[in-house]
Amino acid sequence: MEKRLMRWSSWVMLFLCFSLIVSCHSGSIQKDQGSMLIYGRGADAKSLDPSQVTDGESFRVTQMIFDTLVEYKDQNTEIQPCLAEKWESSPDGKEWIFYLRKNVKFHDGTPFNAEAVVFNFKRWMDREHPQHKGAIAFTYYPDMFAGFKGDPNHVIQSVTAIDEYTVKFVLNRPLGPFLANLAMPPFGIGSPTAIKKDPVQFGEKPVGTGPYKLREWKKNDMITVERNEDYWKKGFPKTDKIIFKSIPDNAARFTALKSGDIDLMDGMNPSDAIQVEKDPKLQLFKQQGMNVAYLAFNMRKKPLDHPQFRLAINHAVDKKRLISNFYANLAEPAVNPYPPFMLGYNDELKDHSFDLGKAKRLIEEAGLKGVKLKLYTPQDPRPYMPNGKKIAEFLKEDFKKIGVQVEIVTFEWKTYLDKVKSGEHDMALFGWNGDNGDPDNFLYVLLDKTNAREQNSSNIAFYTNEEVHQLLIKAQSTVDRTKREQLYRQAQAIIKKENPWVPLVHATVPIAGKASIRGFYPHPTGGYKLDQVEIIEK
Amino acid sequence: MELERARSEIILNRKKRKKMIRRFFRHRSALFGSMMILFLLLLALLAPLVTPYTFSEKSDDLMQAPSGTHWFGTDEMGRDLFTRVLFGARISLWIGFVAVTGSLILGGLLGLVAGYFGGRWDMLISRLFDILLAFPGILLAIAIVTILGPGLNHALLAISIINVPIFGRLMRSSVLRVKEEDYIVSAKAIGASTERIIFQHILPNCWTPLIVQGSLSFATAVIEAAALGFLGLGAEPPIPEWGTMLADSRPFIQTAPWLMIFPGIFILFTVLGFNLIGDGLRDMFDRK
Repeated sequence: MEKRLMRWSSWVMLFLCFSLIVSCHSGSIQKDQGSMLIYGRGADAKSLDPSQVTDGESFRVTQMIFDTLVEYKDQNTEIQPCLAEKWESSPDGKEWIFYLRKNVKFHDGTPFNAEAVVFNFKRWMDREHPQHKGAIAFTYYPDMFAGFKGDPNHVIQSVTAIDEYTVKFVLNRPLGPFLANLAMPPFGIGSPTAIKKDPVQFGEKPVGTGPYKLREWKKNDMITVERNEDYWKKGFPKTDKIIFKSIPDNAARFTALKSGDIDLMDGMNPSDAIQVEKDPKLQLFKQQGMNVAYLAFNMRKKPLDHPQFRLAINHAVDKKRLISNFYANLAEPAVNPYPPFMLGYNDELKDHSFDLGKAKRLIEEAGLKGVKLKLYTPQDPRPYMPNGKKIAEFLKEDFKKIGVQVEIVTFEWKTYLDKVKSGEHDMALFGWNGDNGDPDNFLYVLLDKTNAREQNSSNIAFYTNEEVHQLLIKAQSTVDRTKREQLYRQAQAIIKKENPWVPLVHATVPIAGKASIRGFYPHPTGGYKLDQVEIIEK
Repeated sequence: MELERARSEIILNRKKRKKMIRRFFRHRSALFGSMMILFLLLLALLAPLVTPYTFSEKSDDLMQAPSGTHWFGTDEMGRDLFTRVLFGARISLWIGFVAVTGSLILGGLLGLVAGYFGGRWDMLISRLFDILLAFPGILLAIAIVTILGPGLNHALLAISIINVPIFGRLMRSSVLRVKEEDYIVSAKAIGASTERIIFQHILPNCWTPLIVQGSLSFATAVIEAAALGFLGLGAEPPIPEWGTMLADSRPFIQTAPWLMIFPGIFILFTVLGFNLIGDGLRDMFDRK
């Protein structure tokens, strides 16, 4: 009798547990009136003040709330008008005049005008400005314009309002990528009224001119933005509401897409992309990779300063198999530090062939057989490198065959950044996502000698070629496109000869969405204009 | 007369031992468990003969489902999963063996000292055990490996350390019980040295619970090693550690589930096997 009771109660318990699990799953997002897009991604935004952040997840949202003076075209990195209707520059490239769009209002009713633009730029560039404050730090401004006001290399001399809708920039020196920089999401124009009220809280309560207003932010869960009824671009946004939902695990996010909980997602495992293509309810968007994954040699250390050693390693990397094994063929082998569709790509340069025999010979000739090195690799997936640990494992096997012993060292992402940026590694797997579509953003940042610093170095190969430096500086302060193109071609030729890296791949970024999604263009910068997206239910 | 009695006692002991062994083998699950472990051990030892591949050999057969040529399928580098799982068994059994032996010896000695000498020694050692036990085991292991740096040997050391207090406390309590027995008192009265008392009289009468605990700890050590591997704190790649293999399989749960299933099953069977043996041993020594 008692036994039967026991059995009964255990069945009941099992049922209760089961229903608990089921109910946990279903309590996610409630649908109400109006069209809605749910965008799934790996992490939450850090702050919604675009001047304060550097991560793509934050920009994904701020781009919906803020507009920039100029913006990129839908499918490439050419510039088109946004808050500025047109612009002109002096022949020497030192003076720029922007004519602003009229009758634009911030979400809080403040009129958008020249004063607002001047206010925003002064807040970013002047350390003394009363609102030069924020939740995190102004990082992108000094990176793109070489420091703050008063710094020796600072680019912008002054920003003034000529009349209500005209702004004039005077530069200390011409800057090739000036317009491209202004189109970057960190330079979204915010409401002066809201910023003056509380510049630190602005990251929680952002006010811009963009297609959407912030409605609700549940930290580490989701951000909801709703339609800006007074948006200046007629007919947009297409969808009433966007929810940015954070689902950290790639596989879990993909399951959410398949079950219809979310409409669009980034951060896919490349191997899942094949499944998307087969599924009639889903569609795959391929974002042209404005990125590069590379193996950097720490040229300050022996034997990595030996050119023949670096050449040998270049011959020992099988990029074709790397792509088929880890990128599900969604990548192109990299020859140069930046992808072919960008300005001044040197297509005359040929890549080093995969030839273990030759590599072995080179190592032996250099007398470096049996050398032991540490290969650093990140633990976390990056868009340009979905599985750094496995790539390291793959390389280790081939390096062993040419007589180079490798120890794999891995860290989680933040620690990893600290370690490689202070030059702890012998070799390191790393990569870069382009910001503004300009070659300067790759070559100067990653391979110029001024960026090979003791701490927080962005040139982790510690490559310090004077000739390359001169070429890059010249290209940076030239506005003429053809001249810049030539300079960059020359720089790439030198780099290809000296091999500070093994450029691995330019990864295509897979984005998956429901088949009913229209108007989504996966922009190479990773900044998507989601206000153009709509869901057509059949 | 005395001699007669002693002889009959020895015979009785022998009979008892026979009975115990018989009890172990009659214990059906214990028999099953030991067969499982024996089979695994054989596979691990004979791995190079069983499979034509090596565990780090790449090929162009990427992500193949289990088939005649690749029994467990292949991973994203075209490595044969069956081979990797077999070599992984070597790693896991080795970790289990070394970690348990290490913590058994260290914990046993500490427990012996604490139990026999008592007083200040007991105080010191018991508090040390309390401190170690206050941490959740796996957390302590992660802390140790983080300080020492990832690697198989460091993981081994960490797992040994977290298991020390378990053996130590068992030993201490058995020593406390045995210490009061008449034959110890008489040994002392005869004037036997402390060493002789400890190693000849106390230790042989205390080891049974440790053996049982050892086989159970073997199972947890395998799991702990897998957990460390899963967190990226275990063996350095390309060494095929089961936990690391599980962690690496996560992106492919939808596309290549066999990468997760087979290492998972092997962890399951190893742990189950050792637990069954442990149960059997306990029943065998337990004089009801």
